Amino acid sequence: MSIHTQQRPPWLEPRAAYIHVPFCAHHCGYCDFAVAVGKDDRMDAYLDALKSELQSLGTPRPVDTLFFGGGTPTYLPIRILERLLQLVRTWLPLNAGHEFAVEANPSRLDRAKVQLLADFGVNRLSLGAQSFQPGLLRILERDHAPDDVARVVEFVQPIIPNYSIDLIFGVPTQTLDQWQDDMRQAIALAPMHFATYGLTYEKGTRLWKQREKGDVRALDEETEYYFYTAAMDTLAANGFEHYEISNFARFGFQCRHNHTYWANHAHYGFGVGAARYVDGVRELNTRDFHAYIQRLQAGESPTFQSERLEPRDRAFETIAVQLRRAIGIERQQYFEQTGFALDSLVGGTIHDLCGHNLLADDGQNVHLTRSGKCVADAVMERLLRAN
Amino acid sequence: MATKTSLIRNFSIIAHIDHGKSTLADQFLLQTGTITRRNFQDQLLDSMDLERERGITIRMHPVTIYYEHKGVRYELNLIDTPGHVDFSYEVSRSLAACEGVILLVDAFQGVQAQTVANAYLAMEHDLKIVPALNKVDLQMTRIDAILAEMETSLGIDPLEVLRVSGKTGIGIEEALQAIVERVPPPSGKPDAPLRALVYNSHFDVYRGVVVYVRVKEGCIKKGMKIKLMSKGSEHEVLEIGQFRPGMVPCEELSAGQVGYVMAQIRSLGDVHVGDTVTETNRPAAEALAGYKEPKPMVYSGLYPVNNHEFEDLREALGKLKLNDSSFTYMPENSEGLGFGFRCGFLGMLHREIIQQRVERESGLELIVTAPNVTYEVLSRNGEIISIDNPQKVPDAGQIEEFREPIVKASFIVPKENIGDIMKLCTERRGIYIRTEYLSPTRAIIVYELPLAEVIYDLYDKLKSLTHGYGTMDYDVLGFRSADLVRLDILVHKNRVDALSIIVHRAFADQRGRKLVKKLRGEIDRHMFEIAIQAAIGSRIIARETISAMKKDVTAKCYGGDITRKRKLWSKQAAGKKRMKMVGQVDIPQEAFLAVLESDQ
Repeated sequence: MSIHTQQRPPWLEPRAAYIHVPFCAHHCGYCDFAVAVGKDDRMDAYLDALKSELQSLGTPRPVDTLFFGGGTPTYLPIRILERLLQLVRTWLPLNAGHEFAVEANPSRLDRAKVQLLADFGVNRLSLGAQSFQPGLLRILERDHAPDDVARVVEFVQPIIPNYSIDLIFGVPTQTLDQWQDDMRQAIALAPMHFATYGLTYEKGTRLWKQREKGDVRALDEETEYYFYTAAMDTLAANGFEHYEISNFARFGFQCRHNHTYWANHAHYGFGVGAARYVDGVRELNTRDFHAYIQRLQAGESPTFQSERLEPRDRAFETIAVQLRRAIGIERQQYFEQTGFALDSLVGGTIHDLCGHNLLADDGQNVHLTRSGKCVADAVMERLLRAN
Repeated sequence: MATKTSLIRNFSIIAHIDHGKSTLADQFLLQTGTITRRNFQDQLLDSMDLERERGITIRMHPVTIYYEHKGVRYELNLIDTPGHVDFSYEVSRSLAACEGVILLVDAFQGVQAQTVANAYLAMEHDLKIVPALNKVDLQMTRIDAILAEMETSLGIDPLEVLRVSGKTGIGIEEALQAIVERVPPPSGKPDAPLRALVYNSHFDVYRGVVVYVRVKEGCIKKGMKIKLMSKGSEHEVLEIGQFRPGMVPCEELSAGQVGYVMAQIRSLGDVHVGDTVTETNRPAAEALAGYKEPKPMVYSGLYPVNNHEFEDLREALGKLKLNDSSFTYMPENSEGLGFGFRCGFLGMLHREIIQQRVERESGLELIVTAPNVTYEVLSRNGEIISIDNPQKVPDAGQIEEFREPIVKASFIVPKENIGDIMKLCTERRGIYIRTEYLSPTRAIIVYELPLAEVIYDLYDKLKSLTHGYGTMDYDVLGFRSADLVRLDILVHKNRVDALSIIVHRAFADQRGRKLVKKLRGEIDRHMFEIAIQAAIGSRIIARETISAMKKDVTAKCYGGDITRKRKLWSKQAAGKKRMKMVGQVDIPQEAFLAVLESDQ
């Protein structure tokens, strides 16, 4: 017997928590996250609801990683932001060697907020720069100016040196030159990490409707392909490892919290629209801001959807999410986590896909090749079809 | 109560498709009070859903009508016939239960190919023909010209031709009178040993097998012990009755009468259409002549999209077979499609109907391969091999002679289209036989053509060349030697056996090029480049390439997205439902039919 308390494996017991902060100054046209605009008067009510949801844990649960996403967590005024930090740290105390990451919008970030975050243990900041081209920022409906990013980095760097820059490619009208320029400007700001997102047209968003009406035209597949491979080449050449389909990091600066998702490990999720995966059950909270508050006020669960996957379905899902990582799927670890031998599920398909140079297999790990990453969705669909 | 034989008239209506056969039948029922206007559904005799949807009659539906003429009550049995060329054998079956027919001709369209074919059938059966022009109420008629056509083509006396309108009811009374006066009564003796012809049957979920009979001689009664002569099986009659038009029980049916028999027969497989029913205690010496089973003309592979549904498909086909003995099925195995069935059909319409019925009634998703006719190969060792599937074609070295079915096709077309039809037939490897003028403006053109060139789209081509005025009919003559080859299709270097076709060598290159081009359009891009090739033996005659997809990746993926992604993938998988993965390529259902449209 170990002298430690027996801890259950990370795919069953969460060691990561996500907190959703929906407030934003403005709802960008491409965004389909749960966002609350013009509801600033409800911030305290929201925190009260969040508190009730956290209290349902019963006892504080120590975690290795914490992530505040949004919305715009840093949109909260100092007082409320401090209240949130206190609340979360009480119920989700951080283990030694933790990662505590917060998403931030360059438009309204100031030194005092960054200092406050750092005082509460935040040690990673994710800056939503998206682009440095004024025209593209307008299409994306971002409310910051290109210069805001450099201005913010100046005071962030001394306080929280581990910051990531988020960029979006595939924006209507965007050219390859503009994309190279975005990356050049971002690299000059010396981040430790990049998240590069291919713009997706999510159903129901304003951008989606504009495309349906023909007001904006999506870029063609060929162009998107060049943007994506340009990101791989440029960022790799500048010392960033492509460790996940849309993430690049300097050595030692991969986002540990996001790795929880890609490992298909358990995680908590709190707040409107938040997702959690605890004890093999996937749950989503309601995306309706008012319903979220009302339900918790009434002592009800904010859960909107709950699903327990069968072991085999879970094993297939694990294949798809783990393949997003550069390390891919490690056979022994996969077997321990899912109870299935990888090859018994998809051995033949892996073999076929290796034959097309879409997957690489060294006998231990199976991972996407460069061309495999470009068509990752098709690769995953093919693997899941064996289910 | 049994009707005296002299007061019975059994008749069918025969006509070219769309000449108004069902509408006329409906008028007979209405005017004799067999049905009331209130329960009148349009075209009452077409009871199958599919028939109603398509406005065509496939199965035979008998109905008994009582009609008073000069103070005497007659029993008229109307035995309906199908109108489509695919089902001409069913016409034959109906005619065997009749003594006369109404030959119905559209007063504007005139004599058409099936008018002629059906009239000849009636003559072969020695039936009295009562000719009638339908739709005489229309503004646009060509009555005099058509009477001349009928006289020229069928030797019909213009004075004998009735004028009716199924739509308005004009001439219906006269038609009923003509049936009584001109059609002879049945000849059988009511006191002879029982001989009743089984001319159809159907399965009723609640009551078991319903056998349709025409009593030729003797008399069948409730409670009687009967015997099916070819099977030798014995049954007790639980119910007999007539179709009026619903099933109405009666005490007995005697010589000349038409009706149904229920005798606790469990499965349609136990009743054989064409069999003779006799009485166990007083059997007839000899069975009636019966029918020749129709031979399938067109074959296709039917495969379940999901391999594990093979047994379900077997069950579904078995059920259909019970009600449609003209269709055949045999298990077969395709390297690409897995386990399925090679099915034989009477024609393309029949094939389409069977496919739709299987899908509708069993809910199975099917892949249907391109149709082919039956070929014959005379092998070097003198053996004759029947080829109902291109995969069965032996190596070229073993073939002494490759033979294909030939038909005699008759086209009736406006004079100005004669040239077009001759050109079309020449392109289709036809051999010209003769041209006959029906009238100064219309002619019958006769060609011998390979069935394979006729069956898929010749009818559509004829219709478009003649703006709908041309009609055709054909009879199978037999097999004839031809320079045929098997054209194979390779997708991503794998031969897809279900895409192989048999073609004439002279057309193989052209056909191959069109086919691979068509396939390129049907198969989606994949993660890798796909070559589509056409080959004869090991010789590649055409190639097209489908380039690889370049980018298909959703960049972001957070916790909340995982559930969503999984749903997206299962949706994609559902979208691939009608596809079969062959080698590593998803081939959609449409691709298997590409061969049909490769001419366009």
